[in-house]
Amino acid sequence: MSTAPIFNMHSNCIIVKGANRSTICDLQRNEVKLIPNDLQNLIEQYEGKTNEEIKAQYNESDYEVVDEYLNFLVEHEYAFFTNTPEFYPKLNIEWFEASKITNAIIDINSDLEYDVIKVLSQLDDLNCKHVQIRFFNVIKFSIIIKLLDYLNETESIVSSINFVVSFTKEFSVIKLVELFREQPRISSFLIYNHTKEDVIIPLKENHTKYIKCVTKNIKSASHCGVISQEYFVPNIKAYTESLQHNSCLNRKISIDTQGNIKNCPSMSESYGNIENTTLEEALHQKDFKKYWNITKDQIEICKDCEFRYICTDCRAYRENPEDNYSKPLKCGYDPYTNEWSDWSKNPLKQKAIEWYNL
Amino acid sequence: MAIIISENRDTTTNKVIDWCLKNNTDVRRINSNLCARLSFEISDEDDSVCINKQKISANEKIWNRRGKINTLPKEELLKTPFYNYLKREEDSLVKSVEFHFKSRNSYTGSYIKEVENYKIAHLVSAKKVGLKIPRTIVTNYKEELVNFYQKNKPIISKDLRYSVNISDENTKYTSIGTFEVTETMLDHLDTYFAPCYVQELIAKKVEIRVFIFKKKMFSMAIFSQNDTQTKIDYRNYNIEKPNRVSPFKFPENVEKQLLKFMNISNLDTGSIDLILTKKNEFVFLEVNPQGQIDWLSKYCNYYIEKYIAEELAYEK
Repeated sequence: MSTAPIFNMHSNCIIVKGANRSTICDLQRNEVKLIPNDLQNLIEQYEGKTNEEIKAQYNESDYEVVDEYLNFLVEHEYAFFTNTPEFYPKLNIEWFEASKITNAIIDINSDLEYDVIKVLSQLDDLNCKHVQIRFFNVIKFSIIIKLLDYLNETESIVSSINFVVSFTKEFSVIKLVELFREQPRISSFLIYNHTKEDVIIPLKENHTKYIKCVTKNIKSASHCGVISQEYFVPNIKAYTESLQHNSCLNRKISIDTQGNIKNCPSMSESYGNIENTTLEEALHQKDFKKYWNITKDQIEICKDCEFRYICTDCRAYRENPEDNYSKPLKCGYDPYTNEWSDWSKNPLKQKAIEWYNL
Repeated sequence: MAIIISENRDTTTNKVIDWCLKNNTDVRRINSNLCARLSFEISDEDDSVCINKQKISANEKIWNRRGKINTLPKEELLKTPFYNYLKREEDSLVKSVEFHFKSRNSYTGSYIKEVENYKIAHLVSAKKVGLKIPRTIVTNYKEELVNFYQKNKPIISKDLRYSVNISDENTKYTSIGTFEVTETMLDHLDTYFAPCYVQELIAKKVEIRVFIFKKKMFSMAIFSQNDTQTKIDYRNYNIEKPNRVSPFKFPENVEKQLLKFMNISNLDTGSIDLILTKKNEFVFLEVNPQGQIDWLSKYCNYYIEKYIAEELAYEK
């Protein structure tokens, strides 16, 4: 038996093969690296072999490329050579979650049409940690304070909140930075209708928190569902969840501007109104979870995409509105040509855009 | 009912409690940053401890994750000259409470073990169970240290028990972790000095961190060798580009040695640091009875918190 070291991938660097190229999803460093399918093929076939054994499978003229590939993998710490591969088991790809609901969207028009405090209180019962609150009209700064005060007073389990608000002078950067300091629950602010595009990191000690200013207007839930590289999540938790579940809708609950309880506010299916139904009751209705287990492996085109396990999904806006397994409408990526284009200008999507009234 | 003794900001405790809630396990958390209402009653009929108005019964499972039960109303006492004395008295009480629990409850983790974490004794125990250890000296005498250096160089030094955290009016002193001791450093020493803890530097392939909870082991390799910043000690973290880590599986005989080590050290939980040498030998470095486990659980996808919650739920 050979004592030469064996080529071994690091267990948290996972290869995902696409139609035309592949990715190395570095789930520890939260990075994605694109690689040619030739390299994917080399890894798939020769992991567990020695350098010599790998070379034996190629012509001498290819050695240079093989060496280049192997050096690239070792240099970036995607792979290593070892005499004792038995010490390094593969990553366990199981996904578990303690909370019944992990994230919620609360949509609000200016006049409070339903009791938001009641929603927040029920989210606490569901052990929901992440909440996004979207205001589709101008609001006073004091409304934000009122909601945060409620969470503080009740020692709510909600630990991260994203706000989407319309720009007014009250929402100045100075005031928001102070708010981030005082309120550790806030994780981001998206301010639309702003005078300029900008991203601000308000806290030195936590770079995951941000204020994002955009000039466009956000009038309703129909702005949502965009697929972009910006939203890729290459970490173990998101990757393992997306192997089994929908990467947007799993364990999500939402309240639309009318107080209707839904899986996603952009969807038509409602499971009662918060006035007379609790979140827990809605959750137990037969179809509430019907999209939760739709994975990218079941979705047309996505199933051939090299980004499929780190990408978000959208079942509310689909290329073919009549097919639950159709590709997200607002994705401009083509895994067969590897090109990103503007989804809204794609002639093939115009019919669906019209259908959804976007 | 499960009881967790911890600190208020401990992430691991939060996650364990999430799993307890999911499993419908009643759980109570006692945070060391708050003064607990405590009484310990000893009589002919019964000995009982009552914490925050609730009597602790014998079938409750207790996990001392971090810190200890705090019984001093600090705010008022902190400024008085009596504080240090009262703290020593409290120490005796808290240890007695732990002895009491250990004698009748399922009690994992230990405040006593955390404060009495004797690295030298642990090295001796590790050697006893057949694990390799680095050549080590603790000395307060220059000649001895120089001799040790000549025989074993390169050498490193680290804290024997407490990391440095000292402030005076103008300066703050903190540890730099494990560091290599150079000849220049030795030249500057006086003939006698306060005892220092020195070991041969062991060339490593990877470092290994293993968390043990009762008999269950969760191990992780840290590829710290490729980065000069972490070459001596992975705890000199490189934040920009963190060391590559990976789940790790010990050979069966080493697993047995580690469990035996825990056993003879009277530890039912703790985190052990080891080195895997270029010759594939496992060298024991130290054990931390209340170590960090969040990153280990997260990076290896081990769900340690879920496991602990299930252990706390088990009915006798």
